[in-house]
Amino acid sequence: MNEAAGPRRNPFRARSLVSAEDVSREDLLWILDQAQAFEGVASGERVLPRPLPLEGKLLALLFFEPSTRTRLSFESAMQRLGGGVLGFADAKISSSSKGESLADTVRVVAAYGDAIVLRHPLEGAARLAAEVAGVPVLNAGDGSNQHPTQTLLDLYTIRRATGRLDGLTITFMGDLRYGRTVHSLATALLHFDVRMQFVGPAGLKLPDDLRQGLLASGRVAVEVTDLAGISATDVLYVTRIQKERFPDPADYERVRTSYRIDRAAVERFGDTLKILHPLPRVNEVDADVDAHPGALYFQQVRNGVTVRMALLNAVLAGRGI
Amino acid sequence: MPTPEPQASKLGDAFKLRDGTVVDHLPAGTAARALGLLKLPREGPVTVGMNVPSTRHGKKDIVRVEGLVLKKAELDRLALLGRQITVSIVRGGMVTHKQVLEVPEQVEGILICPNPTCITRGESVSTVFHRQGDYPYRFRCHHCERVMAGEAAQRSLAQ
Repeated sequence: MNEAAGPRRNPFRARSLVSAEDVSREDLLWILDQAQAFEGVASGERVLPRPLPLEGKLLALLFFEPSTRTRLSFESAMQRLGGGVLGFADAKISSSSKGESLADTVRVVAAYGDAIVLRHPLEGAARLAAEVAGVPVLNAGDGSNQHPTQTLLDLYTIRRATGRLDGLTITFMGDLRYGRTVHSLATALLHFDVRMQFVGPAGLKLPDDLRQGLLASGRVAVEVTDLAGISATDVLYVTRIQKERFPDPADYERVRTSYRIDRAAVERFGDTLKILHPLPRVNEVDADVDAHPGALYFQQVRNGVTVRMALLNAVLAGRGI
Repeated sequence: MPTPEPQASKLGDAFKLRDGTVVDHLPAGTAARALGLLKLPREGPVTVGMNVPSTRHGKKDIVRVEGLVLKKAELDRLALLGRQITVSIVRGGMVTHKQVLEVPEQVEGILICPNPTCITRGESVSTVFHRQGDYPYRFRCHHCERVMAGEAAQRSLAQ
């Protein structure tokens, strides 16, 4: 808790979370502080006192795209807070397969739940949903655009591991163009005094408009196509090179090994290096990296429940812990 | 309300209006686009001047429409075609109102998002773009957050 500043009003109460751009530095720090209060609950080390804060609340999960971590962690978070969940994890079993518009689906589901978690293949779907739902909408990924709750857990993981968010050098590696977790996290990091470095194949560089904004901020230090071009970093944020994005499979084969890290590749950054990955990984992080003291990707998974508990509690209960 | 003033015409008296609208200072080469955006001609006479000498721009296009007063949505569309386009309302042969068009800060329903995987391309939803920077502006899609340059915005004007 930020006791020095005194209790602060809940900035997430009854509010949608669509984009990292919608969240200020103060709001980010507030929710990360809130998440600390839920430490240990996700792992079962602690049980929240009863009555649980979200008893009687229902969370609707609308996943029009596959998801393992995000969907299950929202379910886990909601149930640990005493609430219930409903929804679908496959668009084929929703009325969208009958031609129903997203806007109509969202309006209907808003009548069944107190908030909606939405994942959709089209960019902007969450913004549209938030404007028609009448209940808070939490964006769980809209195409290649944004994934703001992943960003919250990424920031939480970084701060938990390093003790800070300012003064860090953070290197993004992999699919910079389509990776929504990259876009969200880089956007949120503009609120902090960081250096950002980007490593990605020529065809998968940052979208131009995002890149221009980052460059204008003065926080982008390096853009290279090979990790060998990076001399130092505090955090290495690796994403999967998405094979399905390459029109020519030969191009994918050419680059995929360049974006594969093993223990030897990360040793040169020292023991204090923190390695994050939103998962799933395919082959870009060798299993021998898992034993590195800074390999945090499975910690991220656990933190995902912790942070989503804090977010759901803030959005639905309207009070801080 | 400004004092009505006589129409000035570099095209000669034959092109003067009795009642209607003059769209002036269109960038040279955009008159045909303006006609398309305004779905002209409709009922009344329309006269078009292209590459008309202009002290301000060197040359310009002009569209004069008899018997028509443009709506705000139509003016917003026209504003995207160039800078300092003027629209004059003519009554009884006199200019009764004149305005320089400005692109609104929020452009609604008249641009198509160039991102093929934007939700506005898949759903029946009106587009909203936020104007950014100085002329030639950039436009940010309210939904998918992609930004397009002013030239791209002109190309993506919904007909």
